[in-house]
Amino acid sequence: MQNIRNFSIIAHIDHGKSTLADRFIQICGGLTEREMESQVLDSMDIERERGITIKAQSVSLQYKARDGRVYQLNMIDTPGHVDFSYEVSRSLEACEGALLIVDASQGVEAQSVANCYTALDLGLEVVPVLNKIDLPAAEPARVIKEIEDIIGIEAKDACLVSAKSGIGVEDLLEQLVTRIPAPEGDADAPLQALIIDSWFDAYVGVIILVRIKQGRIRKSNKMLVMSTGRGYHVDNVGVFTPKRTETSELSAGQVGYIIAGMKEIDSARVGDTITLVDRPTDKALPGFKEVQPRVFAGMFPVETDDYDNFREALSKLRLNDASLQFEPETSSALGFGFRIGFLGMLHMEIVQERLEREYDLDLITTAPTVVYEVETTRGEVLQIHNPADLPEVNLIEEIREPIIQANILLPQDYVGNVISLCIEKRGVQLNMQYMGTQVALTYEMPLSEVVLDFFDRLKSVSRGYASFDYELKRFQAANLVKVDILINNEKVDALAVIIHADQSQRRGREIAEKMRELIPRQMFDIAIQAAIGRNIIARSTVKALRKNVTAKCYGGDVSRKRKLLDKQKKGKKRMKQFGKVEIPQDAFLAVLKVDNS
Amino acid sequence: MIEFTSLPPLSLYIHFPWCIHKCPYCDFNSHEFNNHFPEQNYINALIQDLEYQLPSIWGRRIISLFIGGGTPSLLSSRALDDLLSAIRSRLTCLPNMEITLEANPGTVDQSKFSEFRAIGINRLSIGIQSFNDLHLKKLGRIHSGREAISAVEIAHKSGFDNLNLDLMFGLPEQSQQQGLNDLTNAIDLEPTHISWYQLTIEPNTFFYKQPPALPDDDDIWVLQQQGQLLLQARDFMQYEISAYAKKNNQCQHNLNYWQFGDYLALGAGAHGKISRSDTNSISRYWQLRQPEAYIAASPAEKISGQNLLETNDIIFEFMLNALRLKQGFNLQTFETHTGLSADMLTDAGRQAIEKGLLEQSGNHFKPTELGYRFLNDLVNLFN
Repeated sequence: MQNIRNFSIIAHIDHGKSTLADRFIQICGGLTEREMESQVLDSMDIERERGITIKAQSVSLQYKARDGRVYQLNMIDTPGHVDFSYEVSRSLEACEGALLIVDASQGVEAQSVANCYTALDLGLEVVPVLNKIDLPAAEPARVIKEIEDIIGIEAKDACLVSAKSGIGVEDLLEQLVTRIPAPEGDADAPLQALIIDSWFDAYVGVIILVRIKQGRIRKSNKMLVMSTGRGYHVDNVGVFTPKRTETSELSAGQVGYIIAGMKEIDSARVGDTITLVDRPTDKALPGFKEVQPRVFAGMFPVETDDYDNFREALSKLRLNDASLQFEPETSSALGFGFRIGFLGMLHMEIVQERLEREYDLDLITTAPTVVYEVETTRGEVLQIHNPADLPEVNLIEEIREPIIQANILLPQDYVGNVISLCIEKRGVQLNMQYMGTQVALTYEMPLSEVVLDFFDRLKSVSRGYASFDYELKRFQAANLVKVDILINNEKVDALAVIIHADQSQRRGREIAEKMRELIPRQMFDIAIQAAIGRNIIARSTVKALRKNVTAKCYGGDVSRKRKLLDKQKKGKKRMKQFGKVEIPQDAFLAVLKVDNS
Repeated sequence: MIEFTSLPPLSLYIHFPWCIHKCPYCDFNSHEFNNHFPEQNYINALIQDLEYQLPSIWGRRIISLFIGGGTPSLLSSRALDDLLSAIRSRLTCLPNMEITLEANPGTVDQSKFSEFRAIGINRLSIGIQSFNDLHLKKLGRIHSGREAISAVEIAHKSGFDNLNLDLMFGLPEQSQQQGLNDLTNAIDLEPTHISWYQLTIEPNTFFYKQPPALPDDDDIWVLQQQGQLLLQARDFMQYEISAYAKKNNQCQHNLNYWQFGDYLALGAGAHGKISRSDTNSISRYWQLRQPEAYIAASPAEKISGQNLLETNDIIFEFMLNALRLKQGFNLQTFETHTGLSADMLTDAGRQAIEKGLLEQSGNHFKPTELGYRFLNDLVNLFN
């Protein structure tokens, strides 16, 4: 156990986590040159394209250090996005140390700060590392000071590396084995294994990634998942090198996998504790909680025939994504679909993209909404996942909305812009702190405002320099109203939104205007109205098109005319027929696309 | 599924692939040439091509001939005479059938036009496009407005009493008044037929890569409506989306296309459509596009591709053409020209009628006013 080092890498997107991980694997000979596909850990296409990690993974490496000893390095990769902060905390819980990777020219970003605080809270040894040190724009002195000012850890002997060119990487490995402590834990005590992650494999069922806190587990043991009380027969245990490699046992201090014939990842939820049936531990590891979706949106297949495929695709995605929730939803405008719960906006985008790309579905997504708590006049408390489900006004005693605490980190030049944005988003300032050239802002604001377009707006008002992290605080009563959108005088349920009363007039106008831009001109005039109850607050009109004719069509080559018409037909396929009106997918997200800058 | 009890009428199309200058809006198979083009070799290749294709139309009569381009008026009357003689000696032609030649106003002289008339060409289609020198320049035309007028006068003098003028509207920087002036000028020259069509930017053209600023759609629409009134007042009756003719002067050749007739295709880049009752099939085919390659290829190799139309294609392509005609079509024409049963139209037809795009009286279908304006939407119901 003295030669084991369990660590995570904390880094902002693009600061070079995956490249560094690849470099470690190379140096320790985990893969041959031929197997070394760039950025091994981000194995999903979408992960690689977006440069983010969605699922936690791990790799065990053998490192021969300068002291002549061979260390087992267990690198646990963590998801790199605010939507997945609980998963991050569980990954960190499995480690004794973390490398904080900071881009030597860009400096510290809010995401890393939040994760770094989590690591420090959990008692991890944090080793600061400046990456991309070979770039001309690198300013190590400034960034070291930033780390000390903002995060409050000693950083003057931070490792200076370039993961890309390999500079300093071996020195970093040396630092790692000397600075990060070996794990502790009694291998002879009853088993306590922390579930870091789990995923579904078509051949072997659920693979559970665990950190053994104490005790040991081997093939043929009978194991027990503590939150569910269910027992399983262990088929196989081992480590990732990064290839899956069976071992005789996993014991205290180690990180590895367990395969136990599970069919659903719900049976092995992140943060849960595994013990043995024969000799159970008397208490589960702390910190386990069920993840609740915070953002809901309706998704509907464009082709009604696709409903069954859609349900099947969701079930398959669910196999690997315990945080994904869905239930059938029926919309008078969009037909049969599902209301889907997500951890956040990125999670939603990823799911939508995977459904469209991997399952070849054409989907219409409605504007995402947060969960509202409604207390009715009869004293019931309802959880509202869909604006269309909001009770009549006279039945509502109070609507409560989720409030988050937002931590924003930005260069001081943009403080004015960002504060204006936070005020516009109904934010209340809790704290503002100058740290070197950076400013840390803490605001409370409604999650619904963040869901709308806060990310994009924050990036644009700070030219991409501001970074952002949030956590849910509480539900709080607010003066909220439902704004309905009518097309040719008919309410379209899928377009309804819940908005703060003070903003309803302005937003209603903006949505009606945006819808006018997004709905293409058709054979007839199309009237678009925004209404609160029976009160019309805004209207706009899509003027009828004059004609849609191919002027020239002489004999011979019909193929080009065909192409044009096929293209028009395909365009229509991606639209939803509502009465006589065809509404494109975009328009259902109009509320997100209102440009109020 | 396809069963021909008789075959549709058959036309002959011959493509001439060269121009002095390629216009930026043109998406036809035309190529600029330096100094000269290989006239004799091309005529020989066409004749060779015709002989090779004869078996596919054995025993059938030709009802019209159209020589298009490119700029076929660049051909010498001798070469054209050779070509026409070769056709007459190998094919049965309808007596006095329509023989059209496309002409560019920049390539015209009196003696040449008279010779064209003398060798049997009985219809000219002159590509005027506009009479406004500024717009002609923007369209990359090689002639002036004055030359355009002169070309029409020469055509009349040369004995062409069946004359089409091609005219465009919705040109870059064209006002409504200028568009109407062009139309009035054309009508005053007393052609029998006017093709008045809106400039559209086609893929694979220079304009597509560098789109010119075009007038507003609503303004073009007003111009189109006023122009149509003007044409009507001067006895030019619209019979197709962009075609207007004096009484009994509709273009027989184009009508055959629009009625889903057959056409044999000769020349570089030409497209043909042939129905066969022995195999109960309809095939489309197309020739090599590069003139030099077309000339050099053996007869069998001149055809660069072909496909048999599936039932769906046939219905759709029939509608793509037939619904362009103001009078629409009747079910009997549909059956004889497609070899399909009229029952296959029932569902889409009913949908089109429900949407107010198509009207039916007995066996006859035609687009409504709305359907004619939104023809693409109407046709796509059959796609």
